[in-house]
Amino acid sequence: MDPALLVIWIVRLLFLALLYLFLARVVGSLLRDLRAAAREPGASPGRLVVVESPAGEPEEGRSFDLDAITTLGRDVNNAIVIDDPFASSEHAVLTFRGRSWYVEDLGSTNGTFVNGRAVAAVSPLGFGDEMSIGQVRLRLERARTS
Amino acid sequence: MTGAAGRAPATSLPRILGPIRPRPRWVEARLLALAAVTLLVGSVSLRLGVDGQFGLFDARGLGIYLAALALAHVAQVLAGRRSDQVLLPVVGLLGGVSLLLMQRLPQGLVTLGEGESALGLGDVQLIWLVLAIVVITTLATVVRSDAWLRRYKYTWAAVGIALLLLTFVFGADVAGQRLTLRLGPISGQPSELLKVILVVFLAGYLSENRPLLIEQDTRLGPLKLPPLPYLAPMVAMWAIALGIVVIQRDLGAALLFYAVFLALTYAATGRLSLVVIGLVLFVAGSALMANLFEHVRDRIDIWIDPFADPLGAGYQIVQSLHAFARGGLLGTGLGEGLPMVGGRLPIPEVHTDFPLAALGEELGLVGVIAILGLYFVVIQRGLRIGASAADDFRAILATGLALVVGVQAFIIAAGNLKVLPLTGVTLPFVSYGGSSLLANAVVVGLLLAISDRGVEPPPAPSEATGWRRRLRRGSA
Repeated sequence: MDPALLVIWIVRLLFLALLYLFLARVVGSLLRDLRAAAREPGASPGRLVVVESPAGEPEEGRSFDLDAITTLGRDVNNAIVIDDPFASSEHAVLTFRGRSWYVEDLGSTNGTFVNGRAVAAVSPLGFGDEMSIGQVRLRLERARTS
Repeated sequence: MTGAAGRAPATSLPRILGPIRPRPRWVEARLLALAAVTLLVGSVSLRLGVDGQFGLFDARGLGIYLAALALAHVAQVLAGRRSDQVLLPVVGLLGGVSLLLMQRLPQGLVTLGEGESALGLGDVQLIWLVLAIVVITTLATVVRSDAWLRRYKYTWAAVGIALLLLTFVFGADVAGQRLTLRLGPISGQPSELLKVILVVFLAGYLSENRPLLIEQDTRLGPLKLPPLPYLAPMVAMWAIALGIVVIQRDLGAALLFYAVFLALTYAATGRLSLVVIGLVLFVAGSALMANLFEHVRDRIDIWIDPFADPLGAGYQIVQSLHAFARGGLLGTGLGEGLPMVGGRLPIPEVHTDFPLAALGEELGLVGVIAILGLYFVVIQRGLRIGASAADDFRAILATGLALVVGVQAFIIAAGNLKVLPLTGVTLPFVSYGGSSLLANAVVVGLLLAISDRGVEPPPAPSEATGWRRRLRRGSA
């Protein structure tokens, strides 16, 4: 075989091989990323981040992993205790049904607000929405995966 | 973030002059190095194919491109953000393949300037590629907040519609399609930018109304639908897509917008009924268009049987199929396809509409599958960024940005291969063209920016009002 032609073929196949090597490397790093995410404990359906809390309980910036039913209020038996003078002892409950979160006001004195609007009975809560109980503001976020 | 109401605007400005804490990006560095080696080998292969000499085909052009990629990497390392490390190398490799292809096609296809200093196709594409890298890097390092996107979604929608109307009214007709808008010396295709605006608007709209769209029902026979007022955007979108087909004669953009719209609606609500209605509307609209308008019917006739008129209407498709056939499994090799037949291009508009056919000829089936694999990686990264985003807006935005690139690549690849009727959209990152490259660079830049978690929390969806605000002021 003509050596020049041989060189052309080798370079040509090398280019294709390198394309696939690149793809394999990329897919490898994608798989590592996915496996790391799968190992992550706690498939919580969401978390609440404390945006503002003048009374200091809960602390600002703290985030709570949520169970499918999470109660909030001043009473110590609540899953998330909100020690605020404007919060009722059993203030509100967050529930995860189907594909989304709902907040229900449990007849609190000062009401529960989602994005500044009062919750009448049960109101859907999207990720990124902000909820206020008394002076405490909390934001619903997707659980951390990476 | 105490007293957020007063300070929010200040923190949402890009913090360019913040403290610089470099963060190494080893995965990106390794992948970029591998991409560079691949492109260098490709360039050698191209030179061997064209004139039989051993060496780089256009060392200066490729050097500038690789240097730009390296600088983009260094800039991201210096910015110290924890953003995605796979997207830049993948897009960089696609851009590099595009550069090799444009350097190899007849340079006279596109010229800039006159006389001795005139730039040919390869050099012009190089300029656009470098600009695209600059756009990606700027967005990836500077954008720390998405408030400017989510707050002004209706403004964005208005900008998009204005762009569309401007093109309808003042657009220049090129080859029977009214796509190009000329403003003085600058000309561009607004539909490329429009797709990004569409995704931004849809992300804002769907994330805000998601609970309503999911939960409330209007019954219509066996179908459970969301409340009727929320279906209005769907009908409006359908009308806009039809308008694009009728006035701009741009089937590709209409198909792209509508497909991305349906996919995003489904991703945000999980309601199959919406997709079913959308598809029914799509079929009805297509049938209507095909019966009413000649240009739509022509496209479909060519698609069904391009060999009916192989030297006329079906010429492009027939030549494209021949190119894929010539390529076979391993291809003819870079630079060894048929550049000219009898003094003209075998495939008209190969550099914008048929780059995949050229790659299919020179790299073969094996090469084309690798190229398509790179698009799958882009889509996977976008969906992954969406899945791990902290809130709905970012999740839908990332999903939409990935889909807009993926669906566009699919539409034109399928058009080249006679799987779908041919429509004149570009192959993202590979086709020649400034509008296309820059719009796709914006997509990648935004994906990189929102892949960084934990820098800027999503802003409060709306201001506190009434007694609550007074209460907070009182306590502060």
